[in-house]
Amino acid sequence: MSWEPEATEIQRRRELALGQGGPVAIAKQHRQNRLTIRERIDRLLDPDTFEEIGPAAGSPRHGADGELEGFDPANFILGFGKVDGRRIVVGGEDFTLRGGSPSPAGLRKSVYAEELAVQYRLPLVRLHEGSGGSVAGTGGSGPSLPGPVNAPARFRSVAQAMATVPVASAALGAVAGLPAGRLVASHFSVMSKSSAQILTAGPAVVERAMGEKKSKDELGGWKVHTKNGTVDNGAEDESACMTDIRRFLSYMPANIYELAPVNACDDPVDRCDAHLLEVVPRNRRQAFEMRSIIASVLDQDSFFEMGRGYGRSQITGLGRLNGQTVGVWANDCKFLAGSMTADGAQKARRFMELCETFSLPIVSLVDEPGFMIGSQAEREATIRHGASAVLTAAMTTVPWASVMIRRSFGVAQAAHYGPEGYVLAWPSAESGPLPVEGGVAVAFRRDIASAPDPEARRRELEEQLAAKQSPFPRAEALGVHDLIDPRQTRPELCRWLDRVQPLLPGLLGPAHFSVRP
Amino acid sequence: MMKIELETGGSVWKLLVAEGDQIEQGQTLFILEVMKMEVPYVAPAAGQVSAVHIAEGDAVEEDQLAMEIA
Repeated sequence: MSWEPEATEIQRRRELALGQGGPVAIAKQHRQNRLTIRERIDRLLDPDTFEEIGPAAGSPRHGADGELEGFDPANFILGFGKVDGRRIVVGGEDFTLRGGSPSPAGLRKSVYAEELAVQYRLPLVRLHEGSGGSVAGTGGSGPSLPGPVNAPARFRSVAQAMATVPVASAALGAVAGLPAGRLVASHFSVMSKSSAQILTAGPAVVERAMGEKKSKDELGGWKVHTKNGTVDNGAEDESACMTDIRRFLSYMPANIYELAPVNACDDPVDRCDAHLLEVVPRNRRQAFEMRSIIASVLDQDSFFEMGRGYGRSQITGLGRLNGQTVGVWANDCKFLAGSMTADGAQKARRFMELCETFSLPIVSLVDEPGFMIGSQAEREATIRHGASAVLTAAMTTVPWASVMIRRSFGVAQAAHYGPEGYVLAWPSAESGPLPVEGGVAVAFRRDIASAPDPEARRRELEEQLAAKQSPFPRAEALGVHDLIDPRQTRPELCRWLDRVQPLLPGLLGPAHFSVRP
Repeated sequence: MMKIELETGGSVWKLLVAEGDQIEQGQTLFILEVMKMEVPYVAPAAGQVSAVHIAEGDAVEEDQLAMEIA
Protein backbone atom coordinates (compact mmCIF):
# COMPACT_ATOMS: atom_id res chain seq x y z
CA MET A 1 0.00 0.00 0.00
CA SER A 2 1.31 3.44 -0.92
CA TRP A 3 1.49 6.56 1.27
CA GLU A 4 -1.21 8.21 -0.74
CA PRO A 5 -3.63 8.77 2.19
CA GLU A 6 -0.92 10.73 4.01
CA ALA A 7 0.06 12.60 0.84
CA THR A 8 -3.58 13.55 0.42
CA GLU A 9 -3.79 14.71 4.02
CA ILE A 10 -0.64 16.81 3.62
CA GLN A 11 -2.21 18.49 0.61
CA ARG A 12 -5.51 18.99 2.47
CA ARG A 13 -3.75 20.53 5.47
CA ARG A 14 -1.82 22.89 3.16
CA GLU A 15 -5.04 24.05 1.56
CA LEU A 16 -6.75 24.52 4.91
CA ALA A 17 -3.73 26.48 6.22
CA LEU A 18 -4.07 28.95 3.34
CA GLY A 19 -7.57 29.70 4.67
CA GLN A 20 -5.88 31.49 7.61
CA GLY A 21 -8.45 32.50 10.26
CA GLY A 22 -11.39 31.69 7.95
CA PRO A 23 -13.59 33.73 5.61
CA VAL A 24 -15.29 35.70 8.38
CA ALA A 25 -12.03 36.87 9.95
CA ILE A 26 -10.54 37.68 6.54
CA ALA A 27 -13.63 39.65 5.51
CA LYS A 28 -13.40 41.63 8.74
CA GLN A 29 -9.72 42.38 8.07
CA HIS A 30 -10.58 43.64 4.57
CA ARG A 31 -13.59 45.61 5.81
CA GLN A 32 -11.26 47.49 8.14
CA ASN A 33 -9.07 48.26 5.14
CA ARG A 34 -6.23 45.98 6.10
CA LEU A 35 -4.52 43.20 4.16
CA THR A 36 -3.94 39.68 5.48
CA ILE A 37 -0.37 38.59 6.19
CA ARG A 38 -0.25 36.48 3.02
CA GLU A 39 -1.42 39.45 0.93
CA ARG A 40 1.20 41.61 2.62
CA ILE A 41 3.97 39.17 1.81
CA ASP A 42 2.78 39.09 -1.82
CA ARG A 43 2.84 42.90 -2.00
CA LEU A 44 6.38 43.02 -0.64
CA LEU A 45 8.03 40.29 -2.69
CA ASP A 46 8.80 39.85 -6.37
CA PRO A 47 5.97 37.74 -7.90
CA ASP A 48 6.01 34.01 -7.11
CA THR A 49 9.19 34.07 -5.07
CA PHE A 50 7.79 33.16 -1.62
CA GLU A 51 9.22 29.92 -0.22
CA GLU A 52 7.40 29.22 3.02
CA ILE A 53 9.06 27.79 6.10
CA GLY A 54 6.90 25.72 8.47
CA PRO A 55 3.62 25.61 6.50
CA ALA A 56 2.68 22.42 8.38
CA ALA A 57 2.95 24.04 11.80
CA GLY A 58 -0.41 24.46 13.51
CA SER A 59 -3.20 22.54 15.21
CA PRO A 60 -5.40 20.03 13.39
CA ARG A 61 -9.03 19.62 14.40
CA HIS A 62 -10.47 16.14 14.21
CA GLY A 63 -14.09 15.01 14.28
CA ALA A 64 -15.46 12.27 16.54
CA ASP A 65 -14.60 9.71 13.86
CA GLY A 66 -10.96 10.85 13.82
CA GLU A 67 -11.35 12.52 10.39
CA LEU A 68 -9.53 15.80 9.78
CA GLU A 69 -12.14 18.55 10.02
CA GLY A 70 -10.04 21.62 10.07
CA PHE A 71 -6.52 23.00 10.52
CA ASP A 72 -5.55 26.14 12.42
CA PRO A 73 -2.19 27.24 11.04
CA ALA A 74 0.44 28.77 13.30
CA ASN A 75 -0.37 32.48 13.39
CA PHE A 76 3.03 33.67 12.21
CA ILE A 77 3.89 33.22 8.53
CA LEU A 78 7.57 32.87 7.70
CA GLY A 79 9.69 32.20 4.66
CA PHE A 80 12.23 33.25 2.07
CA GLY A 81 11.44 35.47 -0.87
CA LYS A 82 13.05 37.95 -3.22
CA VAL A 83 13.04 41.74 -3.43
CA ASP A 84 14.43 43.11 -6.71
CA GLY A 85 15.91 39.68 -7.32
CA ARG A 86 17.76 39.55 -3.98
CA ARG A 87 16.78 36.92 -1.40
CA ILE A 88 15.46 37.96 2.00
CA VAL A 89 13.68 36.40 4.99
CA VAL A 90 10.15 37.69 5.62
CA GLY A 91 7.68 37.04 8.40
CA GLY A 92 4.65 38.47 10.14
CA GLU A 93 1.80 37.77 12.53
CA ASP A 94 -1.51 36.49 11.18
CA PHE A 95 -4.04 38.83 12.77
CA THR A 96 -6.98 36.75 11.55
CA LEU A 97 -6.05 34.08 14.08
CA ARG A 98 -6.25 35.01 17.78
CA GLY A 99 -5.72 38.69 16.87
CA GLY A 100 -2.05 37.95 16.24
CA SER A 101 -1.45 36.94 19.87
CA PRO A 102 0.97 34.07 19.48
CA SER A 103 -0.19 30.46 19.33
CA PRO A 104 2.48 27.97 20.48
CA ALA A 105 3.69 27.22 16.95
CA GLY A 106 3.26 30.88 15.96
CA LEU A 107 5.59 31.94 18.76
CA ARG A 108 8.21 29.40 17.65
CA LYS A 109 8.05 30.60 14.07
CA SER A 110 8.29 34.25 15.08
CA VAL A 111 11.42 33.63 17.14
CA TYR A 112 12.82 31.59 14.25
CA ALA A 113 12.62 34.56 11.87
CA GLU A 114 15.70 36.24 13.34
CA GLU A 115 17.59 32.96 13.68
CA LEU A 116 16.94 32.14 10.04
CA ALA A 117 18.10 35.57 8.88
CA VAL A 118 21.32 35.30 10.89
CA GLN A 119 21.98 31.70 9.79
CA TYR A 120 21.48 32.43 6.07
CA ARG A 121 22.94 35.94 6.31
CA LEU A 122 19.91 37.46 4.62
CA PRO A 123 18.06 40.75 5.24
CA LEU A 124 15.03 40.34 7.48
CA VAL A 125 11.67 42.02 6.92
CA ARG A 126 8.95 41.78 9.57
CA LEU A 127 5.39 42.81 8.75
CA HIS A 128 3.73 43.39 12.09
CA GLU A 129 0.14 43.33 13.23
CA GLY A 130 -0.39 41.58 16.51
CA SER A 131 -0.27 41.71 20.23
CA GLY A 132 1.93 40.06 22.78
CA GLY A 133 1.24 37.21 25.11
CA SER A 134 -2.07 36.80 26.86
CA VAL A 135 -2.55 35.97 30.52
CA ALA A 136 -4.70 33.14 29.18
CA GLY A 137 -1.44 31.62 27.84
CA THR A 138 -0.60 30.51 24.32
CA GLY A 139 -3.62 28.26 24.12
CA GLY A 140 -2.10 24.93 25.13
CA SER A 141 -3.85 22.79 27.69
CA GLY A 142 -2.69 23.15 31.29
CA PRO A 143 -0.92 26.05 32.96
CA SER A 144 1.45 28.23 30.97
CA LEU A 145 4.98 27.07 31.85
CA PRO A 146 8.13 29.16 31.57
CA GLY A 147 10.89 27.94 29.26
CA PRO A 148 13.69 25.87 30.81
CA VAL A 149 16.60 27.73 32.44
CA ASN A 150 18.98 26.52 29.74
CA ALA A 151 16.82 27.79 26.86
CA PRO A 152 18.60 30.41 24.73
CA ALA A 153 17.81 33.98 25.76
CA ARG A 154 14.75 35.04 23.76
CA PHE A 155 16.13 38.37 22.62
CA ARG A 156 19.65 37.26 21.82
CA SER A 157 18.73 36.43 18.22
CA VAL A 158 16.87 39.75 17.87
CA ALA A 159 20.04 41.58 18.85
CA GLN A 160 22.23 39.29 16.72
CA ALA A 161 20.07 39.93 13.67
CA MET A 162 20.60 43.67 14.09
CA ALA A 163 24.36 43.15 14.25
CA THR A 164 24.46 40.85 11.20
CA VAL A 165 21.84 41.66 8.56
CA PRO A 166 19.67 44.63 7.57
CA VAL A 167 16.39 44.48 9.48
CA ALA A 168 13.35 46.41 8.22
CA SER A 169 9.94 46.30 9.84
CA ALA A 170 6.49 47.70 9.23
CA ALA A 171 3.56 48.37 11.55
CA LEU A 172 0.48 47.67 9.45
CA GLY A 173 -2.28 47.33 12.04
CA ALA A 174 -2.32 47.51 15.83
CA VAL A 175 1.08 46.38 17.09
CA ALA A 176 1.43 45.85 20.83
CA GLY A 177 3.64 44.13 23.37
CA LEU A 178 6.30 41.78 22.00
CA PRO A 179 5.63 42.59 18.32
CA ALA A 180 6.03 46.30 19.17
CA GLY A 181 9.38 45.54 20.81
CA ARG A 182 10.50 43.67 17.70
CA LEU A 183 9.16 46.38 15.39
CA VAL A 184 11.61 48.91 16.79
CA ALA A 185 14.46 46.40 16.91
CA SER A 186 15.22 47.28 13.31
CA HIS A 187 17.42 49.48 11.16
CA PHE A 188 14.44 50.90 9.34
CA SER A 189 10.83 50.96 10.49
CA VAL A 190 7.76 52.40 8.85
CA MET A 191 4.12 52.60 9.95
CA SER A 192 0.98 52.82 7.84
CA LYS A 193 -0.71 56.13 8.65
CA SER A 194 -4.09 54.78 7.60
CA SER A 195 -4.11 51.50 9.51
CA ALA A 196 -1.44 51.19 12.21
CA GLN A 197 -1.03 51.96 15.88
CA ILE A 198 1.93 51.02 18.03
CA LEU A 199 1.19 50.38 21.68
CA THR A 200 3.34 49.20 24.51
CA ALA A 201 -0.05 48.29 26.00
CA GLY A 202 -3.48 48.88 24.51
CA PRO A 203 -6.32 51.13 25.75
CA ALA A 204 -7.91 48.52 28.05
CA VAL A 205 -4.67 47.76 29.91
CA VAL A 206 -3.81 51.49 30.14
CA GLU A 207 -7.22 52.42 31.49
CA ARG A 208 -7.14 49.65 34.09
CA ALA A 209 -3.64 50.49 35.29
CA MET A 210 -3.63 54.28 35.05
CA GLY A 211 -7.18 55.50 34.68
CA GLU A 212 -6.17 57.16 31.40
CA LYS A 213 -8.91 56.78 28.79
CA LYS A 214 -7.49 57.09 25.27
CA SER A 215 -8.22 55.60 21.87
CA LYS A 216 -5.66 53.44 20.08
CA ASP A 217 -4.81 56.33 17.76
CA GLU A 218 -4.44 58.82 20.61
CA LEU A 219 -2.13 56.43 22.43
CA GLY A 220 -0.06 55.20 19.53
CA GLY A 221 -1.12 56.51 16.10
CA TRP A 222 1.29 57.92 13.52
CA LYS A 223 0.99 61.46 14.85
CA VAL A 224 2.58 60.21 18.07
CA HIS A 225 5.15 57.77 16.78
CA THR A 226 6.56 59.42 13.66
CA LYS A 227 7.37 62.46 15.81
CA ASN A 228 9.02 60.70 18.73
CA GLY A 229 11.35 58.36 16.86
CA THR A 230 9.53 55.11 17.67
CA VAL A 231 9.41 54.52 13.92
CA ASP A 232 11.60 56.11 11.29
CA ASN A 233 8.95 56.88 8.70
CA GLY A 234 5.20 57.11 8.20
CA ALA A 235 3.69 56.00 4.88
CA GLU A 236 0.16 56.62 3.59
CA ASP A 237 -0.96 52.99 3.52
CA GLU A 238 0.26 49.40 3.58
CA SER A 239 1.44 49.40 -0.05
CA ALA A 240 3.44 52.58 0.55
CA CYS A 241 5.10 50.86 3.54
CA MET A 242 6.19 47.99 1.26
CA THR A 243 7.58 50.49 -1.27
CA ASP A 244 9.62 52.17 1.50
CA ILE A 245 11.01 48.84 2.71
CA ARG A 246 11.97 47.76 -0.81
CA ARG A 247 13.67 51.12 -1.31
CA PHE A 248 15.58 50.83 1.99
CA LEU A 249 16.81 47.32 1.09
CA SER A 250 18.03 48.53 -2.33
CA TYR A 251 20.77 50.56 -0.60
CA MET A 252 21.86 47.82 1.78
CA PRO A 253 24.23 44.87 1.51
CA ALA A 254 22.74 41.43 2.30
CA ASN A 255 24.81 41.24 5.48
CA ILE A 256 27.85 42.67 7.28
CA TYR A 257 30.21 40.41 5.30
CA GLU A 258 29.34 42.05 1.98
CA LEU A 259 29.57 45.55 0.59
CA ALA A 260 26.43 47.36 -0.52
CA PRO A 261 25.46 46.78 -4.16
CA VAL A 262 26.62 49.42 -6.66
CA ASN A 263 24.03 50.52 -9.22
CA ALA A 264 24.71 51.69 -12.73
CA CYS A 265 24.69 55.51 -12.65
CA ASP A 266 23.90 57.75 -15.58
CA ASP A 267 24.16 60.97 -13.57
CA PRO A 268 27.57 62.49 -14.49
CA VAL A 269 30.00 62.54 -11.56
CA ASP A 270 31.23 65.95 -12.69
CA ARG A 271 27.74 67.54 -12.74
CA CYS A 272 28.04 70.99 -11.10
CA ASP A 273 24.69 72.59 -10.22
CA ALA A 274 24.87 76.37 -10.57
CA HIS A 275 22.38 77.03 -7.77
CA LEU A 276 24.89 75.76 -5.17
CA LEU A 277 26.76 79.04 -5.59
CA GLU A 278 23.83 81.02 -4.19
CA VAL A 279 21.89 78.55 -2.05
CA VAL A 280 23.44 79.81 1.20
CA PRO A 281 22.40 83.46 1.72
CA ARG A 282 25.18 85.93 2.55
CA ASN A 283 22.93 87.25 5.32
CA ARG A 284 23.98 84.89 8.08
CA ARG A 285 20.57 84.97 9.73
CA GLN A 286 18.73 83.76 6.65
CA ALA A 287 17.81 80.08 6.54
CA PHE A 288 18.27 77.92 3.44
CA GLU A 289 17.06 74.57 2.11
CA MET A 290 19.63 71.93 3.06
CA ARG A 291 17.60 69.28 1.23
CA SER A 292 18.13 71.11 -2.05
CA ILE A 293 21.91 70.83 -1.50
CA ILE A 294 21.57 67.11 -0.74
CA ALA A 295 19.54 66.63 -3.93
CA SER A 296 22.14 68.49 -6.01
CA VAL A 297 25.14 66.66 -4.66
CA LEU A 298 23.86 63.06 -4.70
CA ASP A 299 22.92 61.00 -7.75
CA GLN A 300 19.61 62.24 -9.10
CA ASP A 301 16.59 61.23 -6.96
CA SER A 302 18.74 58.91 -4.86
CA PHE A 303 18.12 60.40 -1.41
CA PHE A 304 16.01 58.21 0.90
CA GLU A 305 15.35 60.13 4.09
CA MET A 306 14.84 58.23 7.32
CA GLY A 307 13.36 59.86 10.43
CA ARG A 308 12.14 63.13 8.92
CA GLY A 309 9.46 63.57 11.58
CA TYR A 310 11.66 63.64 14.68
CA GLY A 311 15.00 65.10 15.69
CA ARG A 312 14.19 67.43 12.82
CA SER A 313 17.21 69.69 13.15
CA GLN A 314 19.25 66.73 11.86
CA ILE A 315 18.57 65.16 8.44
CA THR A 316 19.63 61.52 8.02
CA GLY A 317 19.20 59.06 5.18
CA LEU A 318 20.78 56.94 2.49
CA GLY A 319 21.82 58.10 -0.93
CA ARG A 320 24.15 57.29 -3.79
CA LEU A 321 27.26 58.81 -5.32
CA ASN A 322 28.16 57.36 -8.72
CA GLY A 323 25.78 54.49 -7.94
CA GLN A 324 27.35 53.58 -4.60
CA THR A 325 25.48 53.78 -1.29
CA VAL A 326 26.53 56.43 1.22
CA GLY A 327 25.01 57.44 4.53
CA VAL A 328 23.99 61.11 4.38
CA TRP A 329 23.78 63.36 7.42
CA ALA A 330 23.08 67.09 7.37
CA ASN A 331 21.61 69.88 9.50
CA ASP A 332 18.30 71.60 8.82
CA CYS A 333 18.69 75.22 9.89
CA LYS A 334 14.97 75.79 9.41
CA PHE A 335 14.29 73.74 12.51
CA LEU A 336 15.69 75.12 15.80
CA ALA A 337 18.51 76.64 13.71
CA GLY A 338 19.80 73.10 13.03
CA SER A 339 21.00 72.69 16.60
CA MET A 340 21.73 69.33 18.21
CA THR A 341 18.69 68.44 20.30
CA ALA A 342 18.37 65.35 22.49
CA ASP A 343 16.24 63.53 19.91
CA GLY A 344 18.36 64.79 17.02
CA ALA A 345 21.44 63.40 18.77
CA GLN A 346 19.79 60.00 19.28
CA LYS A 347 18.74 59.93 15.64
CA ALA A 348 22.29 60.80 14.55
CA ARG A 349 23.80 58.14 16.82
CA ARG A 350 21.55 55.43 15.41
CA PHE A 351 22.35 56.61 11.89
CA MET A 352 26.10 56.39 12.50
CA GLU A 353 25.68 52.93 14.03
CA LEU A 354 23.81 51.82 10.91
CA CYS A 355 26.63 53.06 8.66
CA GLU A 356 29.30 51.49 10.86
CA THR A 357 27.51 48.13 11.04
CA PHE A 358 27.15 47.87 7.26
CA SER A 359 30.41 49.58 6.24
CA LEU A 360 28.68 52.50 4.50
CA PRO A 361 30.84 55.60 3.96
CA ILE A 362 29.35 58.75 5.51
CA VAL A 363 28.81 62.10 3.79
CA SER A 364 28.19 64.88 6.30
CA LEU A 365 26.93 68.32 5.26
CA VAL A 366 27.61 70.50 8.27
CA ASP A 367 25.62 73.51 9.47
CA GLU A 368 25.76 72.85 13.21
CA PRO A 369 25.33 75.82 15.57
CA GLY A 370 25.85 73.64 18.67
CA PHE A 371 23.78 71.84 21.25
CA MET A 372 20.26 73.12 21.76
CA ILE A 373 20.08 75.39 24.81
CA GLY A 374 17.35 76.51 27.20
CA SER A 375 15.33 74.90 29.96
CA GLN A 376 13.56 72.34 27.80
CA ALA A 377 16.90 71.19 26.36
CA GLU A 378 18.29 70.85 29.90
CA ARG A 379 15.27 68.78 30.95
CA GLU A 380 15.82 66.47 27.98
CA ALA A 381 19.45 65.70 28.98
CA THR A 382 20.66 67.13 25.68
CA ILE A 383 24.29 67.15 26.75
CA ARG A 384 24.27 63.42 27.55
CA HIS A 385 22.63 62.40 24.25
CA GLY A 386 24.77 64.92 22.40
CA ALA A 387 28.01 63.65 23.90
CA SER A 388 26.89 60.12 23.02
CA ALA A 389 26.62 61.17 19.36
CA VAL A 390 30.02 62.89 19.50
CA LEU A 391 31.74 59.80 20.93
CA THR A 392 29.95 57.49 18.50
CA ALA A 393 31.42 59.52 15.64
CA ALA A 394 34.84 59.34 17.27
CA MET A 395 34.66 55.53 17.39
CA THR A 396 33.57 54.94 13.80
CA THR A 397 35.94 53.27 11.35
CA VAL A 398 34.06 53.95 8.09
CA PRO A 399 35.37 56.69 5.78
CA TRP A 400 33.83 60.15 6.25
CA ALA A 401 33.68 63.20 4.04
CA SER A 402 32.43 66.31 5.81
CA VAL A 403 31.54 69.49 3.95
CA MET A 404 31.38 72.65 6.05
CA ILE A 405 28.39 74.34 4.46
CA ARG A 406 27.88 77.11 6.99
CA ARG A 407 28.21 76.86 10.78
CA SER A 408 30.35 74.38 12.71
CA PHE A 409 30.38 75.26 16.39
CA GLY A 410 30.99 73.95 19.85
CA VAL A 411 31.29 70.38 21.03
CA ALA A 412 28.29 69.35 18.93
CA GLN A 413 30.08 70.01 15.64
CA ALA A 414 32.61 67.28 16.47
CA ALA A 415 29.86 64.68 15.90
CA HIS A 416 29.80 65.65 12.22
CA TYR A 417 33.43 64.70 11.53
CA GLY A 418 34.79 61.15 11.56
CA PRO A 419 38.32 60.15 12.54
CA GLU A 420 40.76 60.92 9.71
CA GLY A 421 37.82 62.21 7.69
CA TYR A 422 38.12 64.23 4.51
CA VAL A 423 37.03 67.82 5.18
CA LEU A 424 35.97 70.39 2.59
CA ALA A 425 34.76 73.92 3.30
CA TRP A 426 32.47 76.20 1.34
CA PRO A 427 33.23 79.95 1.37
CA SER A 428 30.18 80.36 3.63
CA ALA A 429 31.76 78.15 6.33
CA GLU A 430 32.10 79.58 9.85
CA SER A 431 33.59 77.74 12.78
CA GLY A 432 34.67 78.28 16.34
CA PRO A 433 33.83 77.50 19.94
CA LEU A 434 30.37 79.11 19.72
CA PRO A 435 28.42 81.35 17.34
CA VAL A 436 29.46 84.99 17.76
CA GLU A 437 25.94 86.17 18.47
CA GLY A 438 25.78 84.23 21.72
CA GLY A 439 29.46 84.34 22.57
CA VAL A 440 30.07 88.08 22.30
CA ALA A 441 27.47 88.97 24.92
CA VAL A 442 29.22 86.69 27.43
CA ALA A 443 32.91 87.15 26.63
CA PHE A 444 32.76 90.93 26.25
CA ARG A 445 30.13 91.72 28.89
CA ARG A 446 32.08 94.51 30.62
CA ASP A 447 33.37 95.96 27.37
CA ILE A 448 29.80 96.16 26.04
CA ALA A 449 28.31 97.47 29.30
CA SER A 450 30.84 100.30 29.61
CA ALA A 451 30.51 101.47 25.99
CA PRO A 452 28.59 104.72 25.35
CA ASP A 453 26.26 102.79 23.02
CA PRO A 454 26.34 99.16 24.26
CA GLU A 455 24.15 97.83 21.42
CA ALA A 456 26.42 99.41 18.76
CA ARG A 457 29.52 98.07 20.51
CA ARG A 458 28.02 94.56 20.61
CA ARG A 459 27.29 94.67 16.89
CA GLU A 460 30.78 96.00 16.17
CA LEU A 461 32.37 93.16 18.15
CA GLU A 462 30.16 90.60 16.45
CA GLU A 463 31.17 91.84 13.02
CA GLN A 464 34.87 91.82 13.94
CA LEU A 465 34.70 88.29 15.23
CA ALA A 466 32.51 87.00 12.40
CA ALA A 467 35.15 88.20 9.93
CA LYS A 468 37.74 86.10 11.79
CA GLN A 469 35.64 83.00 11.24
CA SER A 470 36.27 83.10 7.51
CA PRO A 471 37.40 79.73 6.13
CA PHE A 472 40.39 81.21 4.26
CA PRO A 473 42.79 81.24 7.27
CA ARG A 474 41.61 77.74 8.09
CA ALA A 475 42.48 76.52 4.60
CA GLU A 476 45.85 78.36 4.72
CA ALA A 477 46.70 76.43 7.90
CA LEU A 478 45.59 73.10 6.34
CA GLY A 479 42.72 73.09 8.85
CA VAL A 480 40.59 71.68 6.04
CA HIS A 481 41.63 69.53 3.09
CA ASP A 482 40.32 72.12 0.68
CA LEU A 483 38.25 75.25 0.34
CA ILE A 484 35.97 74.71 -2.65
CA ASP A 485 33.58 76.39 -5.02
CA PRO A 486 30.22 74.97 -3.82
CA ARG A 487 29.42 73.87 -7.38
CA GLN A 488 32.38 71.47 -7.21
CA THR A 489 30.94 69.53 -4.26
CA ARG A 490 29.58 66.56 -6.20
CA PRO A 491 32.75 65.95 -8.27
CA GLU A 492 34.88 66.34 -5.13
CA LEU A 493 32.78 63.84 -3.17
CA CYS A 494 32.72 61.34 -6.05
CA ARG A 495 36.52 61.51 -6.29
CA TRP A 496 36.80 61.01 -2.51
CA LEU A 497 34.50 57.96 -2.67
CA ASP A 498 36.64 56.50 -5.44
CA ARG A 499 39.80 56.99 -3.35
CA VAL A 500 38.40 55.20 -0.28
CA GLN A 501 37.38 52.05 -2.17
CA PRO A 502 40.47 50.06 -1.09
CA LEU A 503 39.56 50.67 2.55
CA LEU A 504 36.06 49.21 2.38
CA PRO A 505 36.73 45.44 2.15
CA GLY A 506 38.84 45.71 5.31
CA LEU A 507 35.81 47.01 7.23
CA LEU A 508 33.60 43.98 6.58
CA GLY A 509 32.55 41.65 9.39
CA PRO A 510 31.24 42.47 12.86
CA ALA A 511 31.59 46.12 13.83
CA HIS A 512 32.97 46.75 17.30
CA PHE A 513 29.64 48.35 18.07
CA SER A 514 26.40 47.74 16.28
CA VAL A 515 22.93 49.23 16.33
CA ARG A 516 20.63 49.15 19.30
CA PRO A 517 17.06 50.39 19.06
CA MET B 1 -7.43 75.80 -1.93
CA MET B 2 -3.97 75.53 -0.38
CA LYS B 3 -3.26 75.67 3.32
CA ILE B 4 0.08 76.97 4.52
CA GLU B 5 0.86 75.30 7.84
CA LEU B 6 3.89 76.03 9.98
CA GLU B 7 6.66 73.46 10.08
CA THR B 8 8.02 74.80 13.35
CA GLY B 9 7.16 77.15 16.17
CA GLY B 10 8.77 80.59 16.42
CA SER B 11 7.62 84.17 15.94
CA VAL B 12 6.30 85.95 12.87
CA TRP B 13 9.00 88.39 11.83
CA LYS B 14 7.64 89.80 8.55
CA LEU B 15 4.31 89.40 6.84
CA LEU B 16 4.79 90.17 3.14
CA VAL B 17 1.33 89.60 1.67
CA ALA B 18 -2.22 90.51 2.70
CA GLU B 19 -5.66 89.04 2.19
CA GLY B 20 -6.78 89.45 -1.41
CA ASP B 21 -3.25 89.72 -2.88
CA GLN B 22 -2.49 87.86 -6.09
CA ILE B 23 0.69 85.86 -5.61
CA GLU B 24 3.15 84.06 -7.86
CA GLN B 25 4.58 80.60 -7.30
CA GLY B 26 7.78 80.86 -5.25
CA GLN B 27 6.91 84.31 -3.86
CA THR B 28 7.85 84.76 -0.20
CA LEU B 29 4.66 85.01 1.88
CA PHE B 30 6.07 85.60 5.34
CA ILE B 31 9.23 85.06 7.35
CA LEU B 32 9.37 83.36 10.73
CA GLU B 33 12.12 83.90 13.22
CA VAL B 34 13.21 80.63 14.82
CA MET B 35 16.23 80.56 17.12
CA LYS B 36 17.56 83.80 15.56
CA MET B 37 17.25 82.32 12.07
CA GLU B 38 14.97 83.85 9.45
CA VAL B 39 12.88 81.09 7.89
CA PRO B 40 10.99 82.15 4.75
CA TYR B 41 7.75 80.49 3.62
CA VAL B 42 7.13 80.61 -0.12
CA ALA B 43 3.98 80.06 -2.17
CA PRO B 44 3.83 76.48 -3.47
CA ALA B 45 1.73 77.72 -6.43
CA ALA B 46 0.20 80.92 -7.83
CA GLY B 47 -3.17 82.08 -6.48
CA GLN B 48 -4.95 84.60 -4.34
CA VAL B 49 -4.48 84.93 -0.59
CA SER B 50 -7.92 84.11 0.82
CA ALA B 51 -7.12 84.21 4.54
CA VAL B 52 -4.24 85.28 6.78
CA HIS B 53 -4.20 83.80 10.28
CA ILE B 54 -0.96 85.30 11.60
CA ALA B 55 0.31 88.79 12.36
CA GLU B 56 3.80 90.22 12.74
CA GLY B 57 5.12 89.57 16.24
CA ASP B 58 2.83 86.59 16.88
CA ALA B 59 4.31 83.66 18.77
CA VAL B 60 3.32 80.66 16.66
CA GLU B 61 3.37 76.89 17.03
CA GLU B 62 4.18 73.92 14.87
CA ASP B 63 1.30 72.77 12.60
CA GLN B 64 -0.52 76.10 13.09
CA LEU B 65 -2.52 77.23 10.04
CA ALA B 66 -0.85 80.43 8.81
CA MET B 67 -2.45 81.24 5.50
CA GLU B 68 -4.94 80.00 2.94
CA ILE B 69 -4.54 80.46 -0.79
CA ALA B 70 -7.38 80.01 -3.26
